[in-house]
Amino acid sequence: MQNNEVYKDINEDLKWAQINKDVLKSMENPRKGYWISVAVCLFLISFAVVGEVYQYNVGMGAANLNWPHMWDLYIATFIFWIGMSHAGTLLSAILHIMNADWRKPIYRFAEAMTTFSLMTAGLFPMIHLGRLWNMYWVLPYLTDRGIWPNFRSPLVWDAFAISTYLTSSALFLFIGMIPDLAICRDNARGWRKKLYTALSLGWRGDDRQWRNFRRTYLIMACFLIPLAVSVHSIVSSDFAMSIMPGWAVTSFPPYFVAGALYSGCAAIITLFILLRYYFRWEEYMTIAILEKTAKLTFAIAMVWTYLNLIEFASVWYGHSAADKEVLLAKFFGPYAPFFWGMIFCGSVVPFALAFEKLRRHLPTMMVVSILLNLGMWLERWMIVTPTLSLSYHPIAHDVMWPSWVQWFIVAGSFGWFGLLFLVFVKVFPSVSMYECKEMVLHRRELANKEISPVMANNPGGGAPATGVSSKSPGVEGS
Amino acid sequence: MSLSNLIDDWSRYRKGREEGGFHDYEHMWGMSIDLNKCIGCNACSVACYAENNLAVVGKEKFEKGQGMHWLRVERYWDEPDLGEERTSEFQQHGASFLPMMCQQCNAATCEPVCPVAATYHTPDGLNAQVYNRCIGSRYCSNNCPFRLRYFNFWSYYEDSWPAPLQMQLNPDISVRDMGVMEKCTFCVQRIRTVKDTARMEDRKVRDGEVQTACSQTCPTGAIEFGDMLGMYDPETGVAETRVTKMWRKHQVELGKTKQNKQTPEMRGYRVFEFLNTDPCVMYLDRVREV
Amino acid sequence: MKKCRILGLFGNFDDAFAAIGDFKNKKVDGITVDDVTFLSPIEHPDIDDVLGPRPSVIPKVTLCGAAFGITFGFLFLASAQSNFLIQPQGGKPVVPLPSNIVLTYEMMILFSVLFTVVAFLITTRLFRKRKSLYSEKVGIDQVAIEFEVDEKYIDPIKGVFKDNHAVEVREEVQS
Repeated sequence: MQNNEVYKDINEDLKWAQINKDVLKSMENPRKGYWISVAVCLFLISFAVVGEVYQYNVGMGAANLNWPHMWDLYIATFIFWIGMSHAGTLLSAILHIMNADWRKPIYRFAEAMTTFSLMTAGLFPMIHLGRLWNMYWVLPYLTDRGIWPNFRSPLVWDAFAISTYLTSSALFLFIGMIPDLAICRDNARGWRKKLYTALSLGWRGDDRQWRNFRRTYLIMACFLIPLAVSVHSIVSSDFAMSIMPGWAVTSFPPYFVAGALYSGCAAIITLFILLRYYFRWEEYMTIAILEKTAKLTFAIAMVWTYLNLIEFASVWYGHSAADKEVLLAKFFGPYAPFFWGMIFCGSVVPFALAFEKLRRHLPTMMVVSILLNLGMWLERWMIVTPTLSLSYHPIAHDVMWPSWVQWFIVAGSFGWFGLLFLVFVKVFPSVSMYECKEMVLHRRELANKEISPVMANNPGGGAPATGVSSKSPGVEGS
Repeated sequence: MSLSNLIDDWSRYRKGREEGGFHDYEHMWGMSIDLNKCIGCNACSVACYAENNLAVVGKEKFEKGQGMHWLRVERYWDEPDLGEERTSEFQQHGASFLPMMCQQCNAATCEPVCPVAATYHTPDGLNAQVYNRCIGSRYCSNNCPFRLRYFNFWSYYEDSWPAPLQMQLNPDISVRDMGVMEKCTFCVQRIRTVKDTARMEDRKVRDGEVQTACSQTCPTGAIEFGDMLGMYDPETGVAETRVTKMWRKHQVELGKTKQNKQTPEMRGYRVFEFLNTDPCVMYLDRVREV
Repeated sequence: MKKCRILGLFGNFDDAFAAIGDFKNKKVDGITVDDVTFLSPIEHPDIDDVLGPRPSVIPKVTLCGAAFGITFGFLFLASAQSNFLIQPQGGKPVVPLPSNIVLTYEMMILFSVLFTVVAFLITTRLFRKRKSLYSEKVGIDQVAIEFEVDEKYIDPIKGVFKDNHAVEVREEVQS
């Protein structure tokens, strides 16, 4: 609270019309930097396309997978993107339920990030399949072969969980955007007008709509939280349900969920800074909000570090020879540079977030958030691969490095995510206009209460006494 | 896909619950491999290549770890200084050999993880792999503690059997294409043939009638193959199968994670017994002078 | 008697709430607060106090969705599992509860969300043709009160709007 004079979450004198204007402006006239970003993304995607076409035609050997390295970067990156998707849920659902209103200017892009990173993650299980063209066999559908997927397989749970999560989070994103789409509709021309008219579904903002809207949003938020937790627990059961040393770890579900929230928060910081810079959104994406996000990230980073240590400890005291061997190989073996890189990025770098000066320094935060995400990506790789290299059977001990095909496809996934996100920020409002207005209104009430405590004690029964006191949102703006 | 099917399954499930397991196995194929007799000649592996249309991947891909040897003879070396002099650069006793083929675990770790049920347990006690159903998620191989599942990383059928070598392919078994997991089947095509013959002749399968390619080829007779359910039958007077006898002699039992040995002569063990995958292959430990 | 629509735009919430208060206090005979349709760019936190309780069926529909998801999910899985032509589980139950709990859980969430969304679309009366009396200002920073009433009420309503500093009043006679 002591810094509220300088660092406010949002300027409470912000005019509502100005909010509309600023956000709508962000959707128009892409600047040069935008097109360069699009080009970079397309370039990265073309890499992945080349890799995938080659791999599709000649087989998985192209990825330099071998016996025993049946999985590698694909699965690691899959977990990475699934983890990234948890940030949107954290910001929009958990913080919504906790009434943390500082989430309001930034939750929209976080939700978009959720949906898009799921769309990216969903590609990887397909890419990694040996027979991609038969991937729909994982889904339960009636067939005259009389066979169903094996419901006991964690991979089928994955398919269920991810499709549920993708459906729910896309609906959540869309429902939460309807009032803003109506604003876009009122201001757009040409093809955009048609698009927004169709998408806003005839929203006009009457009380019935708002009432049901609020209920729906709250209910969906309530469902998204357990869903998000279950999704990453299920992804972790790909490993935890197996019998392999280093994979069959009981603490994996919470560990994965913590890691997911962690990488998601770090990605939010990255995108926060980029959006703030690209769209000059200093009014909305304020330093105060960045600080709050950074503090949250720091807390989650410490949870993640703790779960990491507890995993090592339980392996160490478990005295299972194979488990210990895998752990030692992570510490000192061929994967040691990556392992220590992960520890450095995941457990040491976040301490930068503990310092106020660094938290407020955007370039530092950018570097830190990227390092955190690098650490989280390494974490996933270090979960998947060392176990495969050093499982029970000594004859199958082997070290293998991914081929260019894998690296291309991993790089392409970032391009794909970036492209989706770039299209999103130009087609849809990436800052929630109506929620910003709510926030401004709320903050103004708070400010007024601070000025005159008498008014705060005014019982809120009758109509005119409550609400915005003297200054209203409207007139000055119009 | 019908009500009767559903009811059948349910009654089978009920029965299994009451009797403590899934019981209507017709056979339980098992092996007993005597490592004392194994000389590491790799004939079994070669026979397996010939019998099961295994792709010959070539040196380069084999070195990369993309070989398709369903049966591999593993070599383990002692520490060089294990002998008397403790200075020798070379092994005192040479390598120890361990022929490893799919262990046909009764509690196979590969089965529950397959998303499409491409690997499942047959009423023969076999851990079957359905190539047509496999989508290549490779989870089964990752979850096999023995690492006995091999994946078709490439499409081998053009390079592996250049003309006229394709003429020597076994017509009883398919040639797998890329993207499919495969593994030792205990020569399921031979089992099938023998079972069909027996059924046509209206009799039971005799002991020793089914021979896998490896046990048939082994010059020292180290590999025994047979039906583990073939116990002594007082009514018909059919004797125990050789495999059952071996298992009993060495006091190895299915469904146990630790064998209680009474004398050192009982050399039987199963690989990774403590993981409780319940393999159907018993190994007899090699006895050496030290 | 023709049905008419009238819409009053207000520059801020206070004026609009005052107008609603007037309707509450029966300034216009035959018009109650329940006839008020309130249009706003955000949902004002005190709107429930002003307009009085107006119920929403969505939570109930969600509950139905959850119940449907659980029952359908479990029955679907169990029937599929017991319908395998070849049972792939060597010695394990045909209907394994642990994995079915996981999948049923996902199905419960999926159907709850779907039911909620469908309920939302129906109860908010979206997918309808937009009424012509709509001001884009509502999307920006003004609030509006709308009535759909007999022609005879139009003038008194207009009077209340004017008394409470309405920025603009629009009306429309339905043909």
